[in-house]
Amino acid sequence: MALSNDQIDSLIGMVTSVASDELDCDGCFGRIAEFAEYHLASKEIPEAMKVVQRHLEQCLCCKDEFNALMKGLEAIDSD
Amino acid sequence: MASVKFNDNWVGRLKNEDAEVRDSALDELREFLIRGLSRSLNNHYGNRKFNPEDIVQDALIKILDKIDTFEHRSRFTTWAMTIATRVGISELRRRHCQDLSLEGISGDESLRIELPDTEQQPAGQAMDRQVVLQRLRELIESALSAKQKFAIRGLLEGLPIEVIADRTDSNRNAVYKLVHDARVKLKEGFQQSGMAAEDITAILAGGE
Repeated sequence: MALSNDQIDSLIGMVTSVASDELDCDGCFGRIAEFAEYHLASKEIPEAMKVVQRHLEQCLCCKDEFNALMKGLEAIDSD
Repeated sequence: MASVKFNDNWVGRLKNEDAEVRDSALDELREFLIRGLSRSLNNHYGNRKFNPEDIVQDALIKILDKIDTFEHRSRFTTWAMTIATRVGISELRRRHCQDLSLEGISGDESLRIELPDTEQQPAGQAMDRQVVLQRLRELIESALSAKQKFAIRGLLEGLPIEVIADRTDSNRNAVYKLVHDARVKLKEGFQQSGMAAEDITAILAGGE
């Protein structure tokens, strides 16, 4: 089955947005707790941590986990 | 915050020689993780039922196994929650996706692109899009392996990387790298044809 137009556009987006310094999933996981602390403290994300942000924009698995992590941590903080 | 060290005493308590101190810390951590996961995974993946205590039990084993890798770049509880969240979501994701299928999509056919009908679009825009898609089709055929095509198709179908990894006897990180390498190859192929990323984006945006 051929790709739909939406899938072709998504694929083009994946291609045009690729960067050489992207983190892989393991690299993202290794820094995600530190990244979460910035979010919990509502602090600006420093340049060195923006690779984590970029990985989350590309990887639905890691983004899904990060969103769930924040949901849990924020719920505990607000208890 | 890169230079900040979080100095809570969890590691010392969890590795304490005194079993009573260790057990107390473990109970406290278990209770923290259950509270967190009960909130974070509730309603996840179609409100699937899950038992946070089972997930936390598996997570605690991993946390204790990795405890010496904790670098104090976050609170210990935040770090522990990242592990527990991954354990929990991985389990829910497997259950959610076990019925999804990529059967019928072969590696060679998985990224087949049919060129659009140029008569249905304004002449200039249609031709530009046609050129981009023609080149994309050539690059897919010449530069990507069957595994790369299959993995990308899986993502475009909405399957999580982890599930694609399961289906291909691989692991999540290897699939991410496989796809990343494919994206780089395609981007380089476009560049060698004189098509920069921003030009392609502009062409496709103009064709909508």
